[in-house]
Amino acid sequence: MKLLRRELTKLFAQKRSYVGWGGLLAVPLLITLAFYLNRNNHHHDNGPGGVISLAFHNGLLMPLASVAMLSAFLLPLLASMVGAYQLAGESETGTIKTWLMHSITRGGVLASKWGVAVIYVIIGLALVFVGGLAAGALAFGLHAQPLLSGQTVGVTHWLGLSLVAYLYVLVGVICVLSLALLFATVTNSSLSAAIGALVVFIVMNILGAFSYFDFLKPYLFTSHLDAWQSLLSQPVAWHPIVTGLITFAIYIAALMAAAWFLFRRKDILV
Amino acid sequence: MTMTQDRTDGLAAPPGGAQPVVLATYGLTKSFGDTLAVDHLDLTVRRGDVFGFLGPNGAGKTTTIRMIVGLIYPTSGYATVIDHQVPRDKIEALRHIGGFVEVPAFYGNMSARRNLRLMGGLNSEVDEQRVAEVLDIVGLSERADSKVGDYSHGMKQRLGIANALINSPELIILDEPTSGLDPQGMKDVRELVRELGKDGTTVFLSSHLLHEVEQVCNRAVIINKGRVVIEGPVSELHPQHSSVKLLTSDQGKARDVVAALAGAQQVTIDEGYLVVEASDGTVREMVAELVAAGVGVDAVIPAREQGLEDFFLGLTQSSDVDAGGAAGVAGGAR
Repeated sequence: MKLLRRELTKLFAQKRSYVGWGGLLAVPLLITLAFYLNRNNHHHDNGPGGVISLAFHNGLLMPLASVAMLSAFLLPLLASMVGAYQLAGESETGTIKTWLMHSITRGGVLASKWGVAVIYVIIGLALVFVGGLAAGALAFGLHAQPLLSGQTVGVTHWLGLSLVAYLYVLVGVICVLSLALLFATVTNSSLSAAIGALVVFIVMNILGAFSYFDFLKPYLFTSHLDAWQSLLSQPVAWHPIVTGLITFAIYIAALMAAAWFLFRRKDILV
Repeated sequence: MTMTQDRTDGLAAPPGGAQPVVLATYGLTKSFGDTLAVDHLDLTVRRGDVFGFLGPNGAGKTTTIRMIVGLIYPTSGYATVIDHQVPRDKIEALRHIGGFVEVPAFYGNMSARRNLRLMGGLNSEVDEQRVAEVLDIVGLSERADSKVGDYSHGMKQRLGIANALINSPELIILDEPTSGLDPQGMKDVRELVRELGKDGTTVFLSSHLLHEVEQVCNRAVIINKGRVVIEGPVSELHPQHSSVKLLTSDQGKARDVVAALAGAQQVTIDEGYLVVEASDGTVREMVAELVAAGVGVDAVIPAREQGLEDFFLGLTQSSDVDAGGAAGVAGGAR
């Protein structure tokens, strides 16, 4: 706890943290603005379909529309950057050796770095949620809305669904973050670690896109990232959600175990 | 109030090893691939020592320090700090250590005060007063709230020392603390280290400057290629002889008289002066003998001592050729 509190102090002292959060917050605002400016044009063919197009007339859907857009690239990008920076960034500045010369365990350091990166993503997602909801409410108001399966449900029900969807996306994104942290234990460059994690993320996405590799699909965490959309039917199809969460949990546990194994006895030579 | 002020023994205690061992290494060895950076290093540092850890660049000083503080793992051997074995009990050991390795690194986007609070609190509770105190000791009070990113190299070095002091540790490890400082900065840091020693804090000071170690340390070890070349009290690291120039009424006769003395190692005539390399303390005897032999002594002039730097270079270079041979020479000084 002592360590996590200090990691948070460092996180909030960095300008780059706010740049990332600002970027995330900009997305729901820009989507809302685009929809608002385009509100009289019903032939909107430039936006993705699905949930995003539902948000066209209802501010209530803006949080989900935003996260659907973000989880494709910007969110994994920021997660891998923050995961990589926590450890490799301190190797770059040399502060890791000052830090580790204190009476603290390597495992505790790694856990606190993971924890602060998760908190970073939670704050980012909270900004997107609140920003999207506020902007959407201002532009279009909040109305009851039919689910994908057709039944209309009220505002609180939608908000509840959105919250569960956000939690699901959070766990999925933690996979990317853990991957970046693992790479940060083997390289002293935060850029290399972040790019490494992104490359794996993109390769997994590509593998998931070809039917030839269908047999791999259940084992790639990236294939499960969009499963939250099954929340938007009634009755909710829980199976994909649960499968997704189990897959994420296995990835996170395995990645962090590997990171701990490598970091535990790593020679700090910076 | 602080640990360092409570202990006023240290240097004042009689020499001879009555003080407990604060830091020791036992066969400490580190290889990187085929390169042996530290080779079965045995060191003993006692409470109150200001211990000089001397060696040319690349001798394995920093690698040794990294092993002592648990940043890297020894290939074999171990260190002990107080009673805690490193790497096995390094969490306990690190509670008693303050210091830095190479250049002290801090969070540049935070003030010195904030950095000290952030780091100091990792080992024990640190209050505002203690932070202010250590900043004052290193002379950074006025810039305590500036971002460390704007600090000069010398200020960062001072902050490194402040951070080393903050938990009042038993053992302070400073890795070339004067490197890159201007002469005034060097003087300040050396003075500070000397003060620490007087307070009874044990200081482990690595340096590649022999005169620095001579100024501030009571004991020292010289290492090269990861091995001990010579170890002992700093006064004994000194070459055990000095040279004097003599001007007498009869240089030829004087030469014969002096050469017969046991303490005179080398007698030459240079520019009319009789140059005698003699063991410390033989000058008095030499003059008495000359007078007794009827030679008038006009002048006894202390000549340049054999430079300590030359001595140092001689030791480390000879060990370049044959480390075993140099270790043999060192045996006499132990």
